[in-house]
Amino acid sequence: MLSRRHFLASSAALTLVAATGVSAQDKKTLQVFIDGDTNISGWWNDILKPKFEAANPGLTFNVTITRGVADGNGTIAARALAALQSKSDPQADYFEEIEPASVAGSIEAGLWEELTEANVANLKLVNPAAVETPIRMPYRGSQVLIAYDSAKVANPPKTFADLVAWAKANPGRFTYGRPDKGGSGSNFVVRAIHEGNGKDPSLFTKDNFDAAKAEEMLQKGWAILKDLHPFTFGEGTYPAGNTPALQLLAQGAVDMIPAWSDQALQALKQGVLPETVKLVQLQDLALCGGFAYSAIPSNATDLEGALALANFVLSPETQTSVVRDIGGFPGISWDNLPADLKAEYIDVIPVSIPTFPSGDWSKAKNDGWYKNVATNLTQGG
Amino acid sequence: MIRFATKSGGHTPGQQQRTGPGQEALAGLALVALPVALLLTLTLWPTVTMVVSTFLVDGQVNASRYVYFFSDAYSLANLRYTMEQGLVSALSALAISFGIALYLRFSAGRIATMIHALSLFPLFVPSIIISYALVRFLGPNGLFQLLLEQVGFTHYRTPYLTPVGPFLAFVWEALPLPVLVLSAGLTQVSDHAVEAARDLGAGPFRILWEVLLPQVRRSLLIAFALIFLGIIGAYTVPYMLGPAAPEMMGVFMQRTLGNLHDADAAQVQAVVLMVISSVVGGFYIATMLKSQGGER
Repeated sequence: MLSRRHFLASSAALTLVAATGVSAQDKKTLQVFIDGDTNISGWWNDILKPKFEAANPGLTFNVTITRGVADGNGTIAARALAALQSKSDPQADYFEEIEPASVAGSIEAGLWEELTEANVANLKLVNPAAVETPIRMPYRGSQVLIAYDSAKVANPPKTFADLVAWAKANPGRFTYGRPDKGGSGSNFVVRAIHEGNGKDPSLFTKDNFDAAKAEEMLQKGWAILKDLHPFTFGEGTYPAGNTPALQLLAQGAVDMIPAWSDQALQALKQGVLPETVKLVQLQDLALCGGFAYSAIPSNATDLEGALALANFVLSPETQTSVVRDIGGFPGISWDNLPADLKAEYIDVIPVSIPTFPSGDWSKAKNDGWYKNVATNLTQGG
Repeated sequence: MIRFATKSGGHTPGQQQRTGPGQEALAGLALVALPVALLLTLTLWPTVTMVVSTFLVDGQVNASRYVYFFSDAYSLANLRYTMEQGLVSALSALAISFGIALYLRFSAGRIATMIHALSLFPLFVPSIIISYALVRFLGPNGLFQLLLEQVGFTHYRTPYLTPVGPFLAFVWEALPLPVLVLSAGLTQVSDHAVEAARDLGAGPFRILWEVLLPQVRRSLLIAFALIFLGIIGAYTVPYMLGPAAPEMMGVFMQRTLGNLHDADAAQVQAVVLMVISSVVGGFYIATMLKSQGGER
């Protein structure tokens, strides 16, 4: 229990700190909001902050973790929108990850600062494949790739057809997670659907879902996966998520799985996966992935400081840290990163980053997989 | 809490006028009012509205959602698998615990105490822990497989992600309750009765069948109902240890609601499971009432 005296003493100390913070005119504090996982907020506080302070004398930032509180960053953005309309201070400068379209009315009201090379110089380095709109700045990403044990797999697959051929030649040594329980299995299922539909991700968009058409298109993916089913681990018993799949690989129960780049790289770094495990991306059509997009409110308390932070985030130094420290993919092109880093990750660098729409398509994919592919009623209870 | 108690206690004076009992009965009613009020508002009322809503499709009363459930091969396979898993696991747990209870009835000493303690141990282990432990122990290249390989057995096939995985966890988890109930039941059988039967020439099976079993028949039925109900509603164990398909109803409902956002279908699945549970529950209550009546 916190005693009253203790509490008073510490709040006095806090007030003092806050007072000095305000009075020291030379040090401005930017308000950064993060609703990502602890690996992200921890990385901002422990690694990015000292580097940012060193690179930008007179600036620092304070990370507020909004994870799990109401709608996370969306709630803070709604507050900033209200502040914009009432012309008051939003007390916010930088959103580590946000989807402006999900904050109703914010785009129309002009809440988001347009980020261009004119105000964020390092935007010229950004990976063109990741750019969507000038109000969202891609700065880190992750993608599903193929993790395999190089001690068992001499020639890792370069194409989806190679992968299926390998899995059939090595029964029980490949598996993927259930699509509704984690992105690694989900995006492998998506890749099979892409394979069955001419490797064309553009056929699947947010607005073109039609139940009958979808059924026909998904069936082409189910045919491939049903064919693969008896050759997967346990003849079609799929692990229940990203981590259970990684565990099977770590225990040597399988030799190949699809895995998230950041989870696999971190597991390798921590020694959870044996060092013989290597990662490779399919070169005919990559597995799906995505970027985290940052955004800055146009009414930011310190807009200039926020833009400086954005520029710092996109600097090759910070982007190297994205790869090294959190196992993410850089938001800027690999060509703008140190040559040795690029050489080290050459096998996992995608030529494209396909996506698959959420919503109806995703539901049809997950439920269809259970009913068409996973159905395995031969074993008795 | 306190306000709630006073509010529901407010009904009791009326009761008093009608029946005119003493202060003791009034206190009893007041005590029972809170749980009854909670049961009505938090369980019964939502259940009734939920069941009604499953029959309302676009404002029309019809049973199309149930027609879909009972014509969908996948849903039926999940339901059948849930029932099979429940029956097989509950009966196995009963058989094993009856064996343990018999052993405990007729032996004493340190080993018996140890076995008794071991059989109660699962009572204190949450199902997520037993699930993880089984993944590590019985999983591929787990401890069990390594031990078998040490003695030259190399054809081990892990039960992880097959129906056998949850079966093992269910049986293990279910042991304490029937061991407690059955050993209590068996201690009621006097040594004299067993000896008398033996003097009359009854073999061990005849003693089991005609002297011991009739004494614990009701305990067996009650334990079966409780274990079976626990298993068919299970989520953690089949989620972590079971196969992708068929799914047990708990996992199926969660996925239908959480991933497919299809609340209507999930409610229908819940109602189907609830009806089955009520039948088993009714059977449990009937057995309880009968055993109480028998004692009088």
